[in-house]
Amino acid sequence: MSLFGTSAGFGTGGTGVFGSTTTDSHNPMKDVEVTSPPDDSISCLAFSPPTMPGNFLIGGSWANDVRCWEVQDNGQTVPKAQQMHTGPVLDVCWSDDGSKVFTASCDKTAKMWDLNSNQAMQIAQHDGPIKSIHWIKAPNYSCIMTGSWDKTLKFWDTRSPNPMMSLQMPERCYCADVVYPMAVVATAERGLIVYQLENQPSEFRRIDSPLKHQHRCVAIFKDKQNKPTGFALGSIEGRVAIHYINPPNPAKDNFTFKCHRSNGTNTATPQDIYAVNAISFHPVHGTLATVGSDGRFSFWDKDARTKLKTSEQLDQPITACCFNNNGNIFAYASSYDWSKVRVRLYSLLCAERDKNTLSEINKTTS
Amino acid sequence: MGRKKKKQMKPWCWYCNRDFDDEKILIQHQKAKHFKCHICHKKLYTGPGLAIHCMQVHKETIDGVPNAIPGRTDIELEIYGMEGIPEKDMEERRRVLEQKTQESQKKKQNQDDSDEYDEDEEPGPSFQQPAAQPQAGYMPPMTQPGMPPGSSAPGMPPGSYSGMPPMMPGVPPMMPGMPPVIPGMPPGMMPMGGMMPPGPGMPPMMPGMPPGIPPPVGHRPGMAHMAQAPPAAGPNMLTRPAMPAATAPSAQPAVTKPLFPSAGQSQQTVSGSPHPTPSTSSDPSKPTFPAYTQATASVASPSAGSSTVSKPPSTVTSKPATLTTSSATSKLIHPDEDISLEELRAQLPRYQRNIPRQGQATVSAPPVGPLGGMMAPQQPGMRHPVPGQYGGPPQGMPGYMPGGMPPYGQGPPMVPPGYQGAPPRPPMGMRPPVMSPGSRY
Repeated sequence: MSLFGTSAGFGTGGTGVFGSTTTDSHNPMKDVEVTSPPDDSISCLAFSPPTMPGNFLIGGSWANDVRCWEVQDNGQTVPKAQQMHTGPVLDVCWSDDGSKVFTASCDKTAKMWDLNSNQAMQIAQHDGPIKSIHWIKAPNYSCIMTGSWDKTLKFWDTRSPNPMMSLQMPERCYCADVVYPMAVVATAERGLIVYQLENQPSEFRRIDSPLKHQHRCVAIFKDKQNKPTGFALGSIEGRVAIHYINPPNPAKDNFTFKCHRSNGTNTATPQDIYAVNAISFHPVHGTLATVGSDGRFSFWDKDARTKLKTSEQLDQPITACCFNNNGNIFAYASSYDWSKVRVRLYSLLCAERDKNTLSEINKTTS
Repeated sequence: MGRKKKKQMKPWCWYCNRDFDDEKILIQHQKAKHFKCHICHKKLYTGPGLAIHCMQVHKETIDGVPNAIPGRTDIELEIYGMEGIPEKDMEERRRVLEQKTQESQKKKQNQDDSDEYDEDEEPGPSFQQPAAQPQAGYMPPMTQPGMPPGSSAPGMPPGSYSGMPPMMPGVPPMMPGMPPVIPGMPPGMMPMGGMMPPGPGMPPMMPGMPPGIPPPVGHRPGMAHMAQAPPAAGPNMLTRPAMPAATAPSAQPAVTKPLFPSAGQSQQTVSGSPHPTPSTSSDPSKPTFPAYTQATASVASPSAGSSTVSKPPSTVTSKPATLTTSSATSKLIHPDEDISLEELRAQLPRYQRNIPRQGQATVSAPPVGPLGGMMAPQQPGMRHPVPGQYGGPPQGMPGYMPGGMPPYGQGPPMVPPGYQGAPPRPPMGMRPPVMSPGSRY
């Protein structure tokens, strides 16, 4: 299918690029809205690599589809193609030459989508939904790395149905990132593992999490020599940890910062703490962008340890983000991420219980 | 400084329970913190004095002593330094101090920092900081560049970690009395060196702690837990630095260890059991951080009802995802269960419809069992707020057949003819048109 048949206009998902359009809380930043967004929340975004001319944006969604748009220089987006899985798509990535897109889904498979022929074929299989997929290009091999909720990390040569390698993880994979020769995977139960990919992938080190809450997203950053040197890890507790692998002075170099929380310094009302849904590094400046369930995105400078900018609040959480290959475009997806479900339910149905809980707390503190 | 019994104990502030080296400092503290007029900043001498001043000069009444802990805000009690403190509070204090000394004997001195860290939300950022914190607390006399005792807060917000570095290296030299372990052990670890004879370690520590005490104290209990197993802790500690020391962060793991004792404990046995250390949550004691510890416990309990149902990682309720932060100051906007938002969502029947299942009973998704329990209550509620809230997902929502859908593993059979498996069909207006979403494709 060459165009997105069913939906036109704005569905439940909205992807903003640059430019100007409609209303307030839906698009307060007046960024360009990508046309024909998916019908359900967007789980992942990826821009084409520099090896390809132009900017192509791939977005995977909970509507089981993966869509491709061309983003033109004037900011306009043109839907190009779409592929389907039989389950929600959780992650996408490009091959280094920009000819293939890899997609990972809850249907426990990963597919390779050849853009030229618009054909997709399955290249991986897990025992559980695949949460992360990355393309590894090493001097002596190339492969796909898939992290799944079945607690394994598998490496696939796309030509073979069996994995080249399968590594066991302590827990389910929640997020991962690859910048050759380093790969980092954050798992459930705050697990954090770094892998080195030279010659063949192997576990390098398990790291004690610098964060105290569930890991949600991770992104590797590079040093001035363009070598991966550390990563940024985001949790559900509105906090990001910047962690270097071999810092000269870990105590001083590694740090965490809070983000995506309501009422900044106002301590009068309880602060709402939101999950950090995704982190992305600017390919040129090395600054990072974080997007959260609070519906905002922020840019930070990790070296100066300052916040550069925070957006206005969107009406929905921002679930994914991505810089294009030269850093001129920042794409973010605004769609529901389920973060408020329980809380709402709780307040609606358990008001009574809430009251009791609160009073218990008061009793113990006074 | 030894524990000279002044008035039977060191001077402490009745309003906020802090310890001081001597009474003069205590009085200065009281004047600046508790007896200072918020309007004109004039420092009075007593609580009643402050009340009268405000009334006469500003025509304002105040109903409590500023910066006092709840229960100690009585403006009418005439307290000056250590004079005027009600007898029963004195006794209570004495008792508490007794307990503390006992515990400190057992070298709990460890990573209180995790709490400390949390406490200093402002400085929040560097998780290294807390490590330095206790240091600062412990030795006010020692010059800790950039680390005023007990105040980690100073301009920490992103951007200023300058205080840190000097701290670290500075520490070891500071601890003359401390056995050689220090050099190897990053900050604050001295006392804890479970290996260290806690005795000699303790006294030198104590005096240095005045402002630092309240915060670290709160953690002792937590520490005590860890400390309880010195043998365990010991080898751990030692191995830590020894460990992947090759890779620079030999300090790293060691530092993080103390900082996140619970984390430390659990991460330690990384291979096996990711387990939030029971100590953090089960720890009943020390009111010092009621908000933190106890809220965790009490907040966790109601939700425990639902979330324990769910997870295999049932230890979960104590730490992650459950709204662990005190409800008084902050709240995590995240469902209670300690699974990722995606896992939560993927369990919904709506998203399982087409997934091919080959008798894979329990894939990876832990919430197999819980599904049953969780789904029902969850589903109905879910639909409601969501549409209102985000106007997002509802697209296909109405088609939900909540409950029923037991584990993951049984999707396919159920799928086509719309969810027979749903015993409780909550009259939610979730009507039958299950297939409608499907029609999208």
